[in-house]
Amino acid sequence: MNSMPSDSASMSFVDRVVVPGDHVLDLTGMANQTIKLGAGLRQDGDAISVMKAGKLRISKPNKYWVESSHKRYVPCVEDTVLGIVVDSKFDNFLVDIKAPMLGLLPVLAFEGGTRRNIPKFEIGTLLYVRVVKANNTMNPELSCMDETGKAAEFGPLKDGYMFETSTGLARMLLSSPPCPILEALGKSLSYEIAIGLNGRVWVNAASPSTVILVSNAIMNSEFLSAAQQKIMVEKLMKRLQ
Amino acid sequence: MPIMEHKSMAWRMSVNERKFIETALASDLRVDGRRPFDYRRLNIKFGREDGCSEVQLGETHVMAYVTSELVQPYRDRPNEGILAIFTDFSPMADPSFEAGRPGESAIELGRVIDRGLRESRAVDMESLCVVAGKLVWSIQVDLHIIDNGGNLVDAANVAALAALLTFQRPECTVGGDNGQDIIIHDPKVVEPLPLVIHHLPISVTFAFYNKGDIMVIDPTHKEESVMGGKMTATINSNGDVCAIQKAGGEGVMPSVVMQCIRIASVKAADITSKLKNAVEVYNTERALRKVKRHPSKMAHQVSVADITLEDKQVKDLPRHQAKMACQPYIGSSQDDEPKVDTRTSTNADGNSSGTHADAFVGGPSKWDPYPLRVGTSQVLGTLTVVKEEQVVSDDHRAVECSLDHTTTSSSGTVSVSDAMQKSNTSKSLKDAVKCLLEFFLPVTMDFWMTSVATEYWHFAVVKVIVLCAIRCLCQWLPSKLMKAL
Repeated sequence: MNSMPSDSASMSFVDRVVVPGDHVLDLTGMANQTIKLGAGLRQDGDAISVMKAGKLRISKPNKYWVESSHKRYVPCVEDTVLGIVVDSKFDNFLVDIKAPMLGLLPVLAFEGGTRRNIPKFEIGTLLYVRVVKANNTMNPELSCMDETGKAAEFGPLKDGYMFETSTGLARMLLSSPPCPILEALGKSLSYEIAIGLNGRVWVNAASPSTVILVSNAIMNSEFLSAAQQKIMVEKLMKRLQ
Repeated sequence: MPIMEHKSMAWRMSVNERKFIETALASDLRVDGRRPFDYRRLNIKFGREDGCSEVQLGETHVMAYVTSELVQPYRDRPNEGILAIFTDFSPMADPSFEAGRPGESAIELGRVIDRGLRESRAVDMESLCVVAGKLVWSIQVDLHIIDNGGNLVDAANVAALAALLTFQRPECTVGGDNGQDIIIHDPKVVEPLPLVIHHLPISVTFAFYNKGDIMVIDPTHKEESVMGGKMTATINSNGDVCAIQKAGGEGVMPSVVMQCIRIASVKAADITSKLKNAVEVYNTERALRKVKRHPSKMAHQVSVADITLEDKQVKDLPRHQAKMACQPYIGSSQDDEPKVDTRTSTNADGNSSGTHADAFVGGPSKWDPYPLRVGTSQVLGTLTVVKEEQVVSDDHRAVECSLDHTTTSSSGTVSVSDAMQKSNTSKSLKDAVKCLLEFFLPVTMDFWMTSVATEYWHFAVVKVIVLCAIRCLCQWLPSKLMKAL
């Protein structure tokens, strides 16, 4: 692959689709700088090369990563995901987070959690958790607390409906400013939503028809532009009335 | 040591989903927005070969493939063919499907479809018999599950029917030397035969919830995981019940079963019409593909010959006639009459000259594509006409034959030609040369015609010019040669 020599040329790769083997950054002209590499990038001697197909993103001043959309999830530290309890052992719950390996949620990883008030989760409970440790050799470790030790909305989700999408759609839904589809739906309907970066989305509302409408609208909005999403929501609202 | 997942727990359903599906159904709502008795979108596609179909029912994807072979019949049914259904639950369709021996659901699916086709006598077995007791056709239907999105039975049933409707088996006859051999005709030579299918049994699947109170049609994968019981009713568009399958699950009241059958007959009519439309579209497309057209070589030969020769006929005839007139060696009284006749006839059209020649020779084909050539050679009488016939039929051997014919008369001709022979022996050399040239012309024309047909049309212009040149040469050269000789 031809390598782009200068730093200014690497800016041309940002926000563009890259494939494995592309060299996106040359380090010869950046002796005293630190660069943080995220998912999908690797240092190859004097150049940074791409390992995953996707879009190259930059976060000023020095964070680079490759964004791609899959149906599988690769656990990363500090990700918030939706997990389903599979089993409970003595010190941790086994939770499925759509990763290659089951996640381990320590029994004490709850706000004010002691050996006396261990929560009882039946098999199939939906949990909103945070990934604490992620390694490709070990089971990822999860927690229902944030860094300071507060509950912060983590924990079991009651009622509602859960459906699975790709990781790309989940990231789009979590973007700020808020995603157009969520905004448009929120203008006319009231609903509660929890989005996991592993592609799982939980929706809850007062009536089942609202839940069904919101979930189908989100599933169909993955490849629509902002304007198309708004038009789709308008059409759905008209059909309701 | 990392904790790996259990294989059997590859797909999990959360408690929230389970409860929600049931509460939504209580208000007649389904998770994908359908009403309880709505089918998902049915998409039927066919492969390039006969008997290959692909059906998509929402997310469920099934392929069916029909093959036939000649086998010995079963002993208790010596004059009936054999129908076999084989199901393949591919592991790529669902994480719970395992490669290898078919599981319980695979066997059940195969059995339900088999019962619908065989016991309702949908496929005519007796027409598959070739020699009673010895050879019958065995039809095997292979069902491959590509993607499990729920309701595999219905999708597989439609796929099997679509494949059977478009399948064609080769025609075979009993004959041969001893009257016992079975000859299987090549499908390209003899049209293959479709199977005789009397009616179309369509299966409709219902899922029960809440102890049999709520039922839905065409459950999705998630709805199937939550359901209490399942029932499949196989009905044809006439309303005949071909099969009913309810294997385990919650008990339902007989009134519910009757209601399901009534709904199923309505749905079956709808699916039958969709299936028939798809098969019709495929059949017309297949018929169009098989239309045999005339080989392009023949077509071009006819048209180009007409174009070039008719043009030249008018132009060259006066010149040709003038030359004939001034060639005294040809003018024997015997030839005059036929010469005059043929000239007038060539003025009209080539066919009459051919028929006139037939009065003498009685050759096989009456139509001569090169009438002008016949006209010029009429001067020499029947001898050359006979050669013409041969040349028209077989170009390759004519080169050798022509010389022979000039010296020895053909057996077909009678005393007339003999007389001609005697008068012409003295001029045989000149005749030979003339005949050669006369022959050379059609050969080149044939050559050019084929090349026009097979190669690019714009070369035709060049070739027409060359043809004119050769024609002029043939007319002009003999006279020169004769003068020299």
